Amino acid sequence: MADEEDEAGFDEEPDDGSSGGLDAGGHGKRKRLFSKELRCMMYGFGDDQNPYTESVDILEDLVIEFITEMTHKAMSIGRQGRVQVEDIVFLIRKDPRKFARVKDLLTMNEELKRARKAFDEANYGS
Amino acid sequence: MADPARIKTELPKATANDEETRPEDTEGASTSGSASNETKDSADQLKPKEESKNESAAGDDDEEGTSGETAGKRLKVEPEKKKEKRQKVDEDEIQKMQVLVSSFSEEQLNRYEMYRRSAFPKAAIKRLIQSITGSSVSQNVVIAMSGISKVFAGEIVEEALDVCEKWGDTPPLQPKHMREAVRRLKSREQIPNTKHKNILFH
Repeated sequence: MADEEDEAGFDEEPDDGSSGGLDAGGHGKRKRLFSKELRCMMYGFGDDQNPYTESVDILEDLVIEFITEMTHKAMSIGRQGRVQVEDIVFLIRKDPRKFARVKDLLTMNEELKRARKAFDEANYGS
Repeated sequence: MADPARIKTELPKATANDEETRPEDTEGASTSGSASNETKDSADQLKPKEESKNESAAGDDDEEGTSGETAGKRLKVEPEKKKEKRQKVDEDEIQKMQVLVSSFSEEQLNRYEMYRRSAFPKAAIKRLIQSITGSSVSQNVVIAMSGISKVFAGEIVEEALDVCEKWGDTPPLQPKHMREAVRRLKSREQIPNTKHKNILFH
């Protein structure tokens, strides 16, 4: 009984590990979007240099579910039907790690944009 | 992806003008190290400015309580001190990171490089979000979402490694470790789940 909630999240993960299986339940047919990047990421986070394909698949499903949930939540707050940065920042406010990371990324992006603009103007002038 | 490590080599002029150049270490050891310095540096120059803005706003409340000092003077001195303190703390952290990374073994350097450089492809994330919303999203949204997703993946892998160690297994991680990690994170509510509604009064 307690397994059901887990299984429901993983019904798109057939036991044989194939990603193209024609089973009736779930997203078994979807192509793997992040296989290569997730492998590098898992190695970076502490896993073995060659992680198991099944683990990578599970992680990809989790990430896609996470993004889907966040997108749906963001669409329901702030400006309805649209996803804006402020919504994401609001949703993430309770989680210190993610919040700090988003702030850093956005700040860094602004600075890079400014640096690129200054560089282009310097080039144009000379 | 706007990888700060790559941008640094593309725009040597801009970055050299913007930031004080740190003494270059040996090539091999700190490709990632100097990249981290640059990113920390640029983040750190902006952070104090942001902080000082917040300070001057909050300063109004502070100086109500103080007596015998000019309001304007106190407002100017406080943010400066806090900014210097924060810059010093960041510089200390940067130096500590430099020392740490320079003492990494080859394998650790590889892993650190993978940790810093791996990222989700922006195009795929953008496509995914747009397929859910049905309308276009701005670039910042894609940047934020891919960043958060990476942190999320990291949390799961770290938890799974804890589980793996606790159960006496060795990496590579197996699906059972991942599932147990998800179960634990769910109980801590770190995994969003809007599928199940709690009906309080039935």
